[in-house]
Amino acid sequence: MDYILNVTMAVAYGSKITYLLFFSTLIFALPFGLMIALARLSNLPSLKALTSTYIWLLRGTPLLLQIFFIYFGLPVFGINLDRMSTAIIAFSLNYAAYFAEIFRAGIQSIDKGQYECADVLGLTYLQTTKRIVIPQMIKRVLPPMGNEFINLVKDTALVYAIGLSEILRAAKIAVVRDFTITPFFIAAVFYLLTTLILTLFFRKMEQKYAYYE
Amino acid sequence: MNILTVKNIHKKFNNLEVLKGVSLEVNKGEVIAIIGPSGSGKSTLLRCLIRLETIEKGSIEIEEKPIVFEDSNEKSIYSSEKDIRNLRLKMGMVFQNFNLFPHKSVLENIIEAPLTVNGLDRLKAEQIADNLLVKVGLADKRENYPCELSGGQKQRVAIARALAMNPAIMLFDEPTSALDPELTGEVLQVMKDLAEEHMTMLVVTHEMAFAREVADKVIFMDNGEIVEQGTPKDIFSNPTHPRTKSFLGQVLK
Repeated sequence: MDYILNVTMAVAYGSKITYLLFFSTLIFALPFGLMIALARLSNLPSLKALTSTYIWLLRGTPLLLQIFFIYFGLPVFGINLDRMSTAIIAFSLNYAAYFAEIFRAGIQSIDKGQYECADVLGLTYLQTTKRIVIPQMIKRVLPPMGNEFINLVKDTALVYAIGLSEILRAAKIAVVRDFTITPFFIAAVFYLLTTLILTLFFRKMEQKYAYYE
Repeated sequence: MNILTVKNIHKKFNNLEVLKGVSLEVNKGEVIAIIGPSGSGKSTLLRCLIRLETIEKGSIEIEEKPIVFEDSNEKSIYSSEKDIRNLRLKMGMVFQNFNLFPHKSVLENIIEAPLTVNGLDRLKAEQIADNLLVKVGLADKRENYPCELSGGQKQRVAIARALAMNPAIMLFDEPTSALDPELTGEVLQVMKDLAEEHMTMLVVTHEMAFAREVADKVIFMDNGEIVEQGTPKDIFSNPTHPRTKSFLGQVLK
């Protein structure tokens, strides 16, 4: 029992890295992803091309490779980042590409009549985006966003590869040291609890937005 | 005074010419009904007036100020965005599919533009909205969401929303075409009330009874042109053009 408690404490300590990375990624990737989506839907061909290329590159290569590129590749150009900054930057850039596509789908699913109506009422592009489009988009992107949030929780385990002691690495250390796989179960419980909370959170959000339609 | 002056406008979608030189004048307080078969260009005409579509040739003036004018080569030149914006605000538009904002309550739908576009304070905007809701008979639906309303109620909210911007002319694009037959009456009644208050109105409609009873002038369009226009009596009782006769023969049966 003591053993389980000890390992749980170690994994809980690792979970600080996991949650820090999780929330930091959301803070940066959500607004950045929205900006990419809006740029991609703009009428400017250069912006469209730029954002399409961005999405292609970031979705088209493994996140792990992107982490390595920033961690091992950037120092070649004289840019040295610590591990946590590396992880946050790589995750934010990568997840922004996925979020952008979800936002784009959400925005495109909004009826053309909404834009026309806002337009003839005199609302500007920014007012229409902020007051008419985004509130309706949020409701529509909740289910795919729930998926991405859960993916993000699990993907944080990748930073193991650059030596950050997140949940999985904390568990792995105990496994190797103690010749038992119990720590892996404890790690699994952490992930499951986290994703359960997210699932419930998204269910609540969907209920909250169920007031119309 | 002419509220709206339209001269010789042409509109193409790719190679399909949908408006082939339409001219039209609307005086203050006039109610004009535009009738005609599907695909005749009536809705496109309305959409061009409020610049949801752009035209290639011709001119459009609101209260004698141009939204778009013709240069010496007969090419249409649009005014500055700022001028167009101000001129468009003189027009209220009601769509076939209502286009209410689904995430906003009835009240919020109506005060949205007065608040964000005109910068009214909330109290004043709500006052205007409440008066309009009484006018369209929906004072009790103030806090409801569009999904809780019938089609006829939605369209009445859409009318109130357009009126909240205090337009000089109202454009109606087949306002009852998406409604169940038993719900058209309540919407037409609201429009009739507006006409009695001398609101200037341009109504694209399939409701011949409404056109006959309420309109000061009826315009028959077919194939991108105005074929015939006149008082309801002229058009419905003594149509002169064979295409008008054939169309009315079909719809009035």
